[in-house]
Amino acid sequence: MKIIVAIKQVPERDAQVRIDAAGNWIEETDLQWALNESDAYALEEALQLKEKNGGEVVVVSAGPERVGSTIREALAKGADRAIHIDCDDLNQRDALSVAKLLAEAVKPESPDLVLTGLQSDDLGYGQTGVILAALLELPHASLILHVEKTTTGLHVKRELEEGWFQNIELPTPAVLTIQSGGSKLRYATLMGIKRAKTKEVRRINPAELGVPASAMVALERIAQPQKQKSTQILPGSAKEAAAALVEKLKFEVRVL
Amino acid sequence: MCSVTHHTTSSTLILYLASSPMILLPATLAEPQHFSLWERLLIVGLAAASAFLFWQRFGVVLDKILHSKKDADFRLFPIGRRIFDFVWEVMCQAKVIRQRPLPGLAHAFVFWGFCAFVLVTLNHFAVGLGIGFLDPKSIIGGFYFCFAAVFALACAVGILGLFVRRFLVRPRWLGKKLSYESGFIALLIFVLMVTYLASFFVANASPTATALWWIHTLALLTFLPIIPHTKHLHLVLSPATVFLSRGGFSKIPPLAGDEDFGLVTGKDLTRLASLQAYSCVECGRCTEHCPAANTGKLLNPKEIILGLRGYLNEFGPASDEPLLGKYIAQDAVFECTSCGACEYQCPVGIEHVPIIVGLRRGAVNTGAWEDDHGGKLFLALERGSNALGISAGERDKFIQKQALPIFDGTQEYCLWLGCMGGYDPKGREIVADFARVMEYLGASYGVLRKEKCTGDPVRRLGNDLVFQQLAEANLEAFAQNKVKKIVSICPHCVRTIQDDWKEYGTPPEVEHHSEFLARHLSQLPLVQSQEKIVYHDPCYLGRYRNTYEQPREVVERAGGLVEAPHSHERSFCCGAGGGLAFLGEEPGERVSHVRARELAGTGATMVGTACPFCNSMFRDALAAEGEGVPQLLDIAQLTARSLPSTESGSAG
Repeated sequence: MKIIVAIKQVPERDAQVRIDAAGNWIEETDLQWALNESDAYALEEALQLKEKNGGEVVVVSAGPERVGSTIREALAKGADRAIHIDCDDLNQRDALSVAKLLAEAVKPESPDLVLTGLQSDDLGYGQTGVILAALLELPHASLILHVEKTTTGLHVKRELEEGWFQNIELPTPAVLTIQSGGSKLRYATLMGIKRAKTKEVRRINPAELGVPASAMVALERIAQPQKQKSTQILPGSAKEAAAALVEKLKFEVRVL
Repeated sequence: MCSVTHHTTSSTLILYLASSPMILLPATLAEPQHFSLWERLLIVGLAAASAFLFWQRFGVVLDKILHSKKDADFRLFPIGRRIFDFVWEVMCQAKVIRQRPLPGLAHAFVFWGFCAFVLVTLNHFAVGLGIGFLDPKSIIGGFYFCFAAVFALACAVGILGLFVRRFLVRPRWLGKKLSYESGFIALLIFVLMVTYLASFFVANASPTATALWWIHTLALLTFLPIIPHTKHLHLVLSPATVFLSRGGFSKIPPLAGDEDFGLVTGKDLTRLASLQAYSCVECGRCTEHCPAANTGKLLNPKEIILGLRGYLNEFGPASDEPLLGKYIAQDAVFECTSCGACEYQCPVGIEHVPIIVGLRRGAVNTGAWEDDHGGKLFLALERGSNALGISAGERDKFIQKQALPIFDGTQEYCLWLGCMGGYDPKGREIVADFARVMEYLGASYGVLRKEKCTGDPVRRLGNDLVFQQLAEANLEAFAQNKVKKIVSICPHCVRTIQDDWKEYGTPPEVEHHSEFLARHLSQLPLVQSQEKIVYHDPCYLGRYRNTYEQPREVVERAGGLVEAPHSHERSFCCGAGGGLAFLGEEPGERVSHVRARELAGTGATMVGTACPFCNSMFRDALAAEGEGVPQLLDIAQLTARSLPSTESGSAG
């Protein structure tokens, strides 16, 4: 089974994000970068599928030089090789433009499965994976927690709202966008990092892929979120309130 | 008690035994008649057979040790420390005696008896071959044989005592199974000594003297081949083990090269590890003091070392068989709090902590260890800044709320908060109080705008990748901020900064707040209470850093110091070290509960701690004990109570 995982590098969760002088992007100097969280789950899902069924996991990521560290992290965790789409103008590209880059890089690989995170932690469009499926003309499903290979294709578990799940069958090849929290992430190991040094990272630029720097959507202005505190009183007896609290912690705050 | 006096008229020496009634012994050693050629050939033949049988096993052991990987970090120099350890621990038997006085002394008598016997034994065989060089009738010979007789007597008494201990008293750390081989060895040693002593009471060249000579000889020749087959191998190996030990308490060696991930298979065992594995004398001192073994967990440090030995015996040092498996359980290895009590106690120079951490490194660096809590901790430190997995913004808020000055390179001290001091509510209270003391003293200090975990938990859990990232990032931050001197409330941070970071650069000077407080005690107001305060020695401050007295001085200034049954270098761990604070539930009884109960049992009204991890563990453990338990404060808080009150209130 050949699986492609599209990953994105985003600012670290604890990073102090400042808005740049132009007001439409963040100051990138001095920022710490990390692998987008739901992409990390997509990678984990791919690695587990490979461990069970054999095959190859290829990661693909678009972005400037710095993206290399995140690609190496993915290789260290067990991906077999990587494609780095070298572009400095990622923040000026919209979801369609990025999806085109990814699609052009993925096509020649003819994979059995393409996985990517549900959305990015920085822009949060939640579009790239879905558009990628359209461009590749492949069936797709979003909000996937778990993927299993069956004799005919795939069995996937989708998250719906209010704690409901949907189990569906899909043919391969397919594109799935993965929700965070479906499985346990593995930690990077020293052996993985050392082994990753010898793994192939193919660098390719947008011109070679034949995708011009065009965007249908542009960022006008970004702003820091306004801090707000709100208190909610849960009514009812202690037992009811506790049940309601557990509900909220599970499905709203998602800490349980 | 014996004394040896020189008889003036002849070369005969008189041995007075100061027992009642006092007996006077004509102390000339009887020697056998001259042996015939056939008898001499028999002696040579038996000795050769004995030596052959000895070598048959010892050669194999030596081969396994020498074919293990070289220790990349091994340096013979500075040799002074090695000589000192050898003289103190081997020749003087200081550790053996100090940590277990009665059996220790009995053992020392046996050891010294053996030392004194070297010359006697050589002469014994020489006599058999007709080339004896110590004449019992000469002054030197006569004196030496009497001198050896004193040791022989002490040795016989000692071995009898050890026999009684092993077979009648039966302390549980010697193991459930009775070791009959130990009994047989004890018998042989006893026979050796008794036949030697008896030779003073028989006529020279008499048939009895000859019979005693033969019994002595046969006992010796039986003893020799048994040595390498049993734990008595320590007779031969442990002097070397003590001399060659890595030194520096619980020192984790650097990984050597790109293919070294810690102890994964037999190929990763170094010569020191193999030598130590074969040196174990199975005395069980490590087990006796191990917090895991004492609370019903799988881990038993002795079994780890014997496991390595078992592995080496079956697979050898060139094997690809994983070390964690048949002989050593992965679960056991991850139950270690790295408190180092085992290593501290070991009389034969075994360094348990580097071996246990080495096995963890092997499991973590290759991804073989799967643990929900452990994985979460690693991910938190791969991506975030602290082991608690809390957003770094929370630390900023705390610094703002406490109005802690920011370090700008001009202040004398950099106050290192650490994960506990920056994020844990109780740890923050300790930092806030320590900062108040520093303010009162007029010490110039500041805190860093950003801190990352020192890497202590990942270091002890064997995650070299994350540890290296953290150490390098912190070293760089210190260099950028021109930090020269650090003070910290956490002994784990202190140890990791001072020793473990050295692998990646030169850390600044660092001290623990107990040392800072003790130095400034005279400048602080004296407000002594009648309160009885029991002080708990944190492993990383006591055994790891040898700081026992400074925190006690601080406690004594605040109230009356009470000592716990396990204190100083025998302190019992709180259960948090070795990354275990982050690993969730533990099997068996909780280490923290056992220790908290012991502390509460002293009748003290206050538990004084000097480590935020200990504090956090006891906070929960004491709460679980219910009503009437002692209060719990860090030494910084005990000190801050004496300061004139300011409006600065709670932290957190």
